[in-house]
Amino acid sequence: MMKSLRTIALAALAGVFALGVAACGSSSSKSANAGLNVAAGVQTPASQSLTGGKRGGTLNVVNHEDFEHIDPGQSYFAIDYQAVYATNRPLYSYKPNDFKEPVPDMAEAAPQISSDAKTITIHIRHGVHFGPPVNREVTSADVAYALNRGANPNVANPYFEAYFGSLEGFKAASHGSPIPGIKTPDKYTIVLHFTEPKAAIAAAALVLPVSAPVPEEYAKKYDAKKPSEYGNFQVATGPYMWKANGEGKVLGTGYQPGKSATFVRNPNWNASTDFRPAYLDQINLSIGGDPTVIGRQVLEGSHIVQNDTPAQPIVKLAFEKFRKQLLVSPGAGNRYVALNNSHGPFTNVNLRKAVWAALDREAMNKARGGSLVTISATHYIYPEIPGFEQAGGVIGPRFDYNEHPQGDMAVAEKYMKLAGYPSGKYTGGQTLQVVGSTGNPASEDAEIANQTLKNLGFKTKFNLVDQATMYSKYCGVVKEQIDVCPNVGWLADFGDGQATLDVPFNGKNIITNGTNSNWPQSNHAKINKAMEAAETVVGTSARAAAWGKIDQELVEEAVAPVWDWDKQPAIEAKDVAGVADVWNEAGWDYNFTSLK
Amino acid sequence: MSVGAAELLPGAGGGLALPEGGREIAARTPLQLFWSRLRRDRVALVSLGFIIFLIIVAIAAPLIVKLLGLPGPYTQNPNLTDSFGSPLGPSGAHPFGVDQLGQDVMSRVIYGTRVSLEVGIIGTAIATVIGVVLGVVAGFYRGVADTLLSRMADVVLSLPILLLGLGIGAACAVRGCLGGTIQTGLGEILFLITLATWTYVYRIVRGLVLSLREREFVDASRALGASNARIMFREILPNLAAPIIVYSTLLIPLNILLEAALSFLGVGIRPPTASWGQMIAAATPIFNTAWWYMAFPGIALLLTVLAFNLLGDGLQDALNPRTAR
Repeated sequence: MMKSLRTIALAALAGVFALGVAACGSSSSKSANAGLNVAAGVQTPASQSLTGGKRGGTLNVVNHEDFEHIDPGQSYFAIDYQAVYATNRPLYSYKPNDFKEPVPDMAEAAPQISSDAKTITIHIRHGVHFGPPVNREVTSADVAYALNRGANPNVANPYFEAYFGSLEGFKAASHGSPIPGIKTPDKYTIVLHFTEPKAAIAAAALVLPVSAPVPEEYAKKYDAKKPSEYGNFQVATGPYMWKANGEGKVLGTGYQPGKSATFVRNPNWNASTDFRPAYLDQINLSIGGDPTVIGRQVLEGSHIVQNDTPAQPIVKLAFEKFRKQLLVSPGAGNRYVALNNSHGPFTNVNLRKAVWAALDREAMNKARGGSLVTISATHYIYPEIPGFEQAGGVIGPRFDYNEHPQGDMAVAEKYMKLAGYPSGKYTGGQTLQVVGSTGNPASEDAEIANQTLKNLGFKTKFNLVDQATMYSKYCGVVKEQIDVCPNVGWLADFGDGQATLDVPFNGKNIITNGTNSNWPQSNHAKINKAMEAAETVVGTSARAAAWGKIDQELVEEAVAPVWDWDKQPAIEAKDVAGVADVWNEAGWDYNFTSLK
Repeated sequence: MSVGAAELLPGAGGGLALPEGGREIAARTPLQLFWSRLRRDRVALVSLGFIIFLIIVAIAAPLIVKLLGLPGPYTQNPNLTDSFGSPLGPSGAHPFGVDQLGQDVMSRVIYGTRVSLEVGIIGTAIATVIGVVLGVVAGFYRGVADTLLSRMADVVLSLPILLLGLGIGAACAVRGCLGGTIQTGLGEILFLITLATWTYVYRIVRGLVLSLREREFVDASRALGASNARIMFREILPNLAAPIIVYSTLLIPLNILLEAALSFLGVGIRPPTASWGQMIAAATPIFNTAWWYMAFPGIALLLTVLAFNLLGDGLQDALNPRTAR
């Protein structure tokens, strides 16, 4: 349901709203979105050409990090996705520069959603073939098997239940066996039946790699093992395939964990069935190395790109000396200060507003690398996600407590007084538990937030722990009742307001006996009700409007001061015509990238 | 006491000075002898001077920062970083530059002195007291007490303290450990330092006591009816003053480095408290673009450790001149 716990901590925030403010936010979107511009000379996904690349050649890729899971049924990580979307064809995909409207990929056309929002019908393409060693045409049964794998505990898909948990028979089915709600009336049609009107979000989730077809007769023996070994023997449907031996074994052939990976062309891929140009002949990926060293290697090298996030000094170097080789993509998530809405002093909305008003969001973003890679956020749905404009764009819903990115202590003092502290400083006597994340620049951001609280008179017990511990032991554990988590954030699984707001802010998603991702423990009846209604809305525009309005309501409630919309940098060699995916944290897209 | 006899005053030309003109031969106390030897060791004196300077800096840190016209150590100023968030280097207003939050590095180095000296001196004092008491008891009683204490010391010496620190740091973060008795930060550091270093003092003291308890002055005390406690702490312990002073002085830099190492690893002193180790850790990712952030706390750490080590050597020479180095 969310990628945030994997690689990056992202954020969002909430605030108060009035109709007039909403109107203000939705007007003048041109000037309102000026903050989305990047510096001159720097590439963006929007400026990339998706056609006209030179065919042939081998692209070298350096990755500081390794893959997490290469099985399309399990992968849930930006680097994994770069491989998965080059070798697999989910039912729907995004073009590299669009995170709003998916295009049919394995599917032939847009999904048909029934009027009661309980059924989805999808027709798949004819003439798409599996790569070796399967070498046959893909049918709807292969898509059905792939979706059933999502519920197979041996595959351990991290998001399937969240989006497809209301499929008919899902709860009763012995997971691993077919789900009754998935039907294949013919070779090219698949129908999904739901018990609740949740077809809209499920249809949106069909861009995820779990919908990429998997041949049952080939994969079943691998899926019978725990964990499934299909990833090590996977079969391609995309333009490229993992280099494999005659039996289709990838592990040890095309993938050496911690060392390298090799992708070659899928001989059964038919360009006439695909929107991807697939210019390259081969992709050689090297894993590991110091981020600063590999960053320099890319900037000064030939036919090479870096896939994971470049080190901050490398981004600065690229901007100053290799600007044409730098790409910056918006839409890489949000970051916010989670104030505990359900326990402690921040149950008082005016205290939350006071913190928001006092917070120097610009300083926090500067610590992350400045305006090149950040935007001072004003609401939770971030750029490139449908609903961003509807929530007010860059300017966002305007309130006095969120209109000064550098913070305004006078406004903060006003809300402290409204909260019942006439001196303008907190005198409640309670010491706040503040838990932030270690490492640069997260710790600096946490320090800024901590200092803000102190400036407002709060006493704090300030702790920094590593990011995984912060989520798994403190900020994500309700019973710990942490008062402030300054370093949390969110990256939506796909371009949809519900995927951005529901888990982190819906009261029904506060999990008391597991890992909770509603970090502020936001549980406001009006917002919960609005979310319940918006879940059933069908259509990109209508959903954007519904969730954009909820975003405004979250700001009005000042759920959590949001301070950043991330922009993701990526670097390439001078002789690479790289194309990066705005929907995948600016990961280079092997299907569109070419050599000069 | 068995020692403490006066020496004859050496003459200006060397050798034993004979009384002239009716003057009596002047006897000197051990303290005078110690001082006369120490003051001939210029390196030790300079080190002592530097340490006194550090102590003054630590005590008067707020005043010094104010007199120098520097912002406080916790004053954040994003205007002192460039558009990429990189901190600005040394300037007239900020002689040691600033860090990523725009905090003045010189101010933080000055305040960092407090942490280093607190940890170095208090941690060493606690470890020394524990080591001395247990060492005297083990050496004096021998037998079961000695066996138990010595094996316990062996176990402690085999502990990987940095790893233990990382573990305790992770386990005790946020809520503390043992019902909140051990909290991260200074308390955790002092606990680890005490745990790690009492054994060094213990082993030295135990060895010396094993030897001293057989000496005639102990037999004499026992014959006079002195209790064991009196013999241990009034008769034997004063004879251990010199080695205890020397080794505890040498422990101080060890403990300062241990604090820096733990803070560097993120389990020691936590931000925003200024600590040299924590500053060096924070500077590591940006060393290429902000050398000053690592250099100045690093130099401060180097000089402090060096000064304590050199003073320790000087004290050893002055207190025990027969020991060849």
